[in-house]
Amino acid sequence: MSTLSFLVSSSPSSTSRTGTLRLTRSDGTSLSLNTPGLVTATSRGVVPHLSPDLCAQTAAVRWVHTSFESFLDHNPTVPTLFQGKNALACFLGHSPSTILSLSLRDPGDVRLMPPNGDAHVSAVCVRGVRKVTPASWRSYVQSCDPDITFALTDVPFTAPPYSQKRLIKSVERSLAWLADVLRSDFTNTDHARPSNIFVHMAGGTEPAARAAFSEGLVTALYDKEAEAVKPLKTLDEGVAGYTFDLAPLRVTLGDRLLHHSKIAAALVPETIETADLTEHTDNLIELMNANLKPLPRDKPRLVNSCTGPHEILKMVKGVGVDLFDAAWAQRAADIGIALDFQFPVPERLRNSAEQGDSPTGKWNIGYNLYDQAYAHDFHSLLCDDTLICPCIACTAAPSSLCLQHSIIDSPRVITSASPFTRAYLHHLLHTHEMSSHALLTAHNLSVLDAFFGGIRKVLGRDGGNKVLVEEVRVFCDVYDASSALFDQALRCWAQVELARGKGRLAREKVIDST
Amino acid sequence: MQFEVLATCHTTKARVSRMTLAHGVTALPTFMPVATQAAIKGLTPQQVEALGITLILNNTYHLNLRPGTDILQEAGGAHKFQGWKHNLLTDSGGFQLVSLSKFTKITEEGALFSSPFSGEPTMLTPEESMSIQHAIGADIMMQLDDVVSSLMTGPRVAEAMARSVRWLDRCIEYHEKSGRKDVQNLFAIVQGGLDPELRDQCLDEMIKRKDRVAGYAIGGLSGGEAKDTFWRIVKQCADKLPADRPRYCMGVGFAEDLLVCAALGVDMADCVFPTRTARFGVALTFQGPMNLKLSKYATDLTPIDENCPCPTCKGATTRAMLHHIVTLETVAAHAVTMHNLTFQAQVMGGARDAIMQGTFPAYLRRFFDDYFGDAGYPEWCVNALRSVGVDLLEGKDDAKVVQGDGARWEYSITNKRK
Ligand SMILES: [Zn+2]
Ligand SMILES: [Zn+2]
Repeated sequence: MSTLSFLVSSSPSSTSRTGTLRLTRSDGTSLSLNTPGLVTATSRGVVPHLSPDLCAQTAAVRWVHTSFESFLDHNPTVPTLFQGKNALACFLGHSPSTILSLSLRDPGDVRLMPPNGDAHVSAVCVRGVRKVTPASWRSYVQSCDPDITFALTDVPFTAPPYSQKRLIKSVERSLAWLADVLRSDFTNTDHARPSNIFVHMAGGTEPAARAAFSEGLVTALYDKEAEAVKPLKTLDEGVAGYTFDLAPLRVTLGDRLLHHSKIAAALVPETIETADLTEHTDNLIELMNANLKPLPRDKPRLVNSCTGPHEILKMVKGVGVDLFDAAWAQRAADIGIALDFQFPVPERLRNSAEQGDSPTGKWNIGYNLYDQAYAHDFHSLLCDDTLICPCIACTAAPSSLCLQHSIIDSPRVITSASPFTRAYLHHLLHTHEMSSHALLTAHNLSVLDAFFGGIRKVLGRDGGNKVLVEEVRVFCDVYDASSALFDQALRCWAQVELARGKGRLAREKVIDST
Repeated sequence: MQFEVLATCHTTKARVSRMTLAHGVTALPTFMPVATQAAIKGLTPQQVEALGITLILNNTYHLNLRPGTDILQEAGGAHKFQGWKHNLLTDSGGFQLVSLSKFTKITEEGALFSSPFSGEPTMLTPEESMSIQHAIGADIMMQLDDVVSSLMTGPRVAEAMARSVRWLDRCIEYHEKSGRKDVQNLFAIVQGGLDPELRDQCLDEMIKRKDRVAGYAIGGLSGGEAKDTFWRIVKQCADKLPADRPRYCMGVGFAEDLLVCAALGVDMADCVFPTRTARFGVALTFQGPMNLKLSKYATDLTPIDENCPCPTCKGATTRAMLHHIVTLETVAAHAVTMHNLTFQAQVMGGARDAIMQGTFPAYLRRFFDDYFGDAGYPEWCVNALRSVGVDLLEGKDDAKVVQGDGARWEYSITNKRK
């Protein structure tokens, strides 16, 4: 049984905060993570494009979040065959120094789904939809032994809008399923309660429903309900953290989610209307605060499917969110964007209004490496050469011994190499070489990690909260919050993808046939 | 180039040598992975380097189209462009021009083709090929040759052979005048199709130019000819080529082909097979290829090969996990590619050690027994190795022998997920 502690360090009067999350596993390993910070997203259990050796070289990957549903295509589910401590992490190949959290569903997947039931969630795998009951979820989690488990939650993925009745049902089911995962009334120790349960903040876009959900968490339990989760007096006592999956909320609010969810190249429209990536942020903040009001402050708060740094800053400032998923930054790597932004805004960009490279005259938070402008650009990925980005694209891998295959092979150590240039990445993107995405993923995660470091540094100062408010204002003045960069990259990406087309592997056969 | 033969096999024609180029030492015999467009598919150069690989191949035809020679020159050559610090070999661009271009006409001047960008007629001459390869800056460059299909017969084969000799002269002239002879090395390509007489003539002519070329390639093979013909031509060429020059057999990459070629005296080979098959989910092992898409691997909790030193096997990634992500996540391609390149390097590294230690015939027998023992020995391998004094079937009276080209693997990509 591992334990999770969270130490919040900021004044009770302010919303924004820093914290230290410490995970101690039953084998004694202890990991700690400073917040605000990032959570790396996965697909089918792996960080897209980063093989385990590259993950290990990417310091920003400290916490990976995985969804279980892709494993439902096989019965019994394969990771549950892999017995032992941290079974899932071992099976997926994640380093023991990485925190692994597990939810049933991919928090970024908003495809329409058949309705959930009173006793099941509809999940999806390559072979179709599967019904997962609270009991099977408990057993999956027990076998997988993740560091952190997300309780089942009832988020409707049928077409919006949702009736009042549906939202009430959603709140009730989510509370019931949380109670189920917290059950302690099993005689068999195999059914021990999973450690470190995070709960999704239910209630949809209805503030009253969200408040009701939170009230349900902190209301004292009686009779049978209390007996089931003994010695817990409330459900909240058994909860280690709160999560907010923003993607379904965005769908209800009318966001097309074009810029931060995976989409087939063929579905990318010819013209994309530029959107404001913070369009729904204030609305979301209000909904999140409706949940948090009755809840204790000392639990970590995790947001999935944020849109970018502007929204992150607003949620740090206006909600006190501690952890954000990096899916948007990883998606940017998919479509050829190298992120390049800093917090606080560096000196050279302050007072640079109207001089930026975006259509609004502000600065883009990165650049689209598909753009012809980078064909001859032999700079490394960061604009500011004085900065050091520790990623595998900007800084050589730490020296390690090369394999030797015979006694006469001279032993070699990997020595430092020059950073990869924008021209090379431009070339890789246009030739559809996969290493472009590996390098950009590592880079974007590192840039985002440094950004969180900047936030923590500001909050750590005397009067940090006030400084933060001012620095967020400067950030929003300097960096463009529109989707323009993503729109342009998405179009370029789709063009190259479609040019390679369906017959890609067939064509590779021809091209490669030396 | 410095080329030093360190040991020769007491039985076969195999040898171990050390080739020192401007970007370091490469031990031979070796397999060269193909980085067609300045990247080994999915891997960073550091990942390739960590696998103990010291020599890779870039394709001139592709690099000339993208990024183009101007960008390569601005970058300071292809090594710097792709961040590869070790040795690099480029082909002449001719082969892919002929196989990829819709319209190609060979004249004495060069290969006339329609530009893939503008459709305009464009000429690739031997001089132009040299000039592009100079811009790339590869440690080893190949002459432009007149490529015909290995299945072609008739007078065109003789014409192509003779023209390849003339084009070699033009490549030599151009290269010697370029002032890059110290840092870049030109290899000749022996042509002559499947006709031993033409091969002999070509060998005679090209060996006459030995002092002006750094090494020799055996070209015009691996184009669908019978394996039994393939090895006889390789043997004929390897036997005749000078001992003090490296020998490179083009387009060879199956483990059995590599070992037969090494036994016949070949030092280098290249092929996209190990990297491409990895993307389709096929892992190469000493027990034969393993198609990870097959449902039998869905619950297999062992690594591809417990003894393999690659990051994938060392990291204990299971076959079941690879089955889960293969062809769906690029990470699967990366993981299997690293494994397959390590496998190729282990096969060749093991051969080097065995040759050094005088145990190469035993190494061959053990390899073929593990790899083909169950499925049956390809007859052509048995024949080829008998020609250099190794009998794979010695003491194996009930060994199965497979006629023809002898492929039987789990390669088939059509296997559906079950
Ligand atoms: Zn970087
Ligand atoms: Zn391996």
